[in-house]
Amino acid sequence: MGTVHARSLDPLPMTGPDFGVHGDDVEFVEVQPESKQEVLENKDVIVQRVHIDGLGRTKEDFLGYEIAELFTAKNLIDVMKKAHEAREKLLRLGIFRQVEVVIDTCQEEDALPNGLDVTFEVKEMRRLTGSYNTMVGNNEGSMVLGLKLPNLFGRAEKLTFQFSYGTKETSYGLSFFKPQPGYFERNFAINLYKVTGQFPWSSLRETDRGISTEINFPIWKTNHTLKWEGVWRELGCLARTASFAIREESGHSLKSSISHAMVIDTRNSTILPRRGFLFKVNQELAGYTGGDASFLKEDIEIQLNRRLFWDSVFSASLWGGLLIPIGEKPSCIADRFYLGGPTSVRGFSMYSIGPQSEGDYLGGEAYWAGGVHLYTPLPFRPGRGGFGDLFRTHFFLNAGNLCNLNYGEGPHAHLQKLAECIRWSYGAGIVLRLGNIARLELNYCIPMGVQSGDRICDGVQFGAGIRFL
Amino acid sequence: MSLAAEAFVSQIAAVEPWPENATLYQPLKDDQILLSDHASSLAVQAYLRMCTLPVQVACRANAEYMSPSGKVPFIHVGNQVVSELGPIVQFTKAKGHSLSDGLNEVQKAEMKAYMELVNSMLLTAELYILWCDENTAKQITVPRYSIPYPWPLNHILAYQKQWEVKRKMKAIGWAGKTIDQVYEDVSQCCQALSQRLGTQPYFFNKQPTELDALVFGHLFTILTTELTSDALADRVKNYSNLLSFCQRIEKNYFGDNDSSSIVGRTSPFS
Repeated sequence: MGTVHARSLDPLPMTGPDFGVHGDDVEFVEVQPESKQEVLENKDVIVQRVHIDGLGRTKEDFLGYEIAELFTAKNLIDVMKKAHEAREKLLRLGIFRQVEVVIDTCQEEDALPNGLDVTFEVKEMRRLTGSYNTMVGNNEGSMVLGLKLPNLFGRAEKLTFQFSYGTKETSYGLSFFKPQPGYFERNFAINLYKVTGQFPWSSLRETDRGISTEINFPIWKTNHTLKWEGVWRELGCLARTASFAIREESGHSLKSSISHAMVIDTRNSTILPRRGFLFKVNQELAGYTGGDASFLKEDIEIQLNRRLFWDSVFSASLWGGLLIPIGEKPSCIADRFYLGGPTSVRGFSMYSIGPQSEGDYLGGEAYWAGGVHLYTPLPFRPGRGGFGDLFRTHFFLNAGNLCNLNYGEGPHAHLQKLAECIRWSYGAGIVLRLGNIARLELNYCIPMGVQSGDRICDGVQFGAGIRFL
Repeated sequence: MSLAAEAFVSQIAAVEPWPENATLYQPLKDDQILLSDHASSLAVQAYLRMCTLPVQVACRANAEYMSPSGKVPFIHVGNQVVSELGPIVQFTKAKGHSLSDGLNEVQKAEMKAYMELVNSMLLTAELYILWCDENTAKQITVPRYSIPYPWPLNHILAYQKQWEVKRKMKAIGWAGKTIDQVYEDVSQCCQALSQRLGTQPYFFNKQPTELDALVFGHLFTILTTELTSDALADRVKNYSNLLSFCQRIEKNYFGDNDSSSIVGRTSPFS
């Protein structure tokens, strides 16, 4: 409400919506308000009302938690900050396509002089969204159909269904997700799936049909997941020439296991982080809730990142795992660990380290792998500020070992076994970051410590994936 | 396999002699194996003994899935895996052991025809009785087939297999038959075999052939397996020359202390 324009009573110009000044036709009378400069930051305000416009099937009580913080704001800047946070929370629920915030003074009868009205204008997602793709892969073509029903019952429940029909395999997955109202990080999910995989390094084909339920919850700075999973696994030989050891693993088995995972992630990004660390530990106990697979499995992943001089980042990572079969039955190949490949110890072929039989890799019950990397921007920084920022050069040193353990011997013997015959490699390459999910690498690797039976890929190696050593 | 690949494989097979550690795999003997699988396994064992080729018998719960063709038994010789009697006969022939070399063309054709008769009549009848006769299926077949698996996998696998067998029966036209018609078919098959055997010791006079092994496998198993009723065994017992044929082969080829591998149940001859 600054300057006010007033006009004389001359007739309006008839040339249409052109409100330009026509010289003598119009007189402007400017009325200036009193120069009372208010410093808005320090002004006390009270948020009197918060409206959410545009709700269809979403239940209002559910959203109350997300916007509750807003009522505690004390001044205007606080209101703006909390409104922004509430907007982020509403978007995170995954039920709104768009959220706009409007802050205005309160217009109602009971309005206080410093009362504010905050309105969230939301657009809900459609009830059903679908996608349809065709994929062409390794000697196989398939159709993939995806269906998503967000906000199924009004409280951010989500149901997703994916179905893939291919020339060789068919797979599907149905998943239901429900967060706790007011506490989005606490949620549970139920999944039903059938997944088929072909593993040419072991000449093995695996079909898993399973159901799993999981609960996620944060405790202080850590994120925990408790999961029960029941899987019917069917193993078979991929080719007539599979080794007899793999042939012996063919057949059906049922795994019913409970697992717990804990994650602390302070990195600033999952792909090419610049700082922070990741600590993930996962344990799985199978056999006590039914089924015939019986084991205790531990898995650890640690990653540290630190920024060094000149925009380069030093990263160190360590992986380890242990599988202890319970009872006299030996471990199943579907539960064992594998090592090697462009996403793990580079310089070796995919999962081609460790115990093998006639060229088929059997996996191992214990492993460790470590890597140190130095990431630097591309030399001479081409495409800086744009495309070039997605690339990094990296120098790496990877090492690891995988073996089976005889659990009758003591831990000292196990450590010794894991420490002898270490495979390691070093090299350099280029990394390309794909969004925030995946990365591509093209490396020149020199593998060392190669044992008989390992398959190497020295020279140029290409890798694509989500999780890299 | 293509012709060239087959020729190549049989060349490789021919080069290596029969090893000492050749093994035959079948489902678990006491708890799991079914009538039809036991008959096939016994036929292969009889054939290998007739060729004087040593073989050890190993029992695995997942033998059916280990087999390259999905059928038991299969043998693991050197690093080759061969399943079912037909391919095993070819395999041993490539290694220079054969029982039917002495036959002329007409006899070979006759032998093939009778083997086909046994496979299409006796084996199919066994499968029918095991899986399509509700009584037998519920009391014997399903509990035995699903014994290595935990709940609920045991039910799923057993009923999946039953559905498959029923579908196969429908395809060959046996779905409409009653159990008595099936017993009648078994009788007729036994009559044809009995007539061909006559008073000879083996089907082709003095020397046993793969046909003898196959017939022995099926008839001996039928005679020694307990089902819900004795109707099937009784049909075979009507033909005394078949009974003495089985006895003869058991004595000649299984007479050593390895007979425990075939007779898990009471012998009908004692």
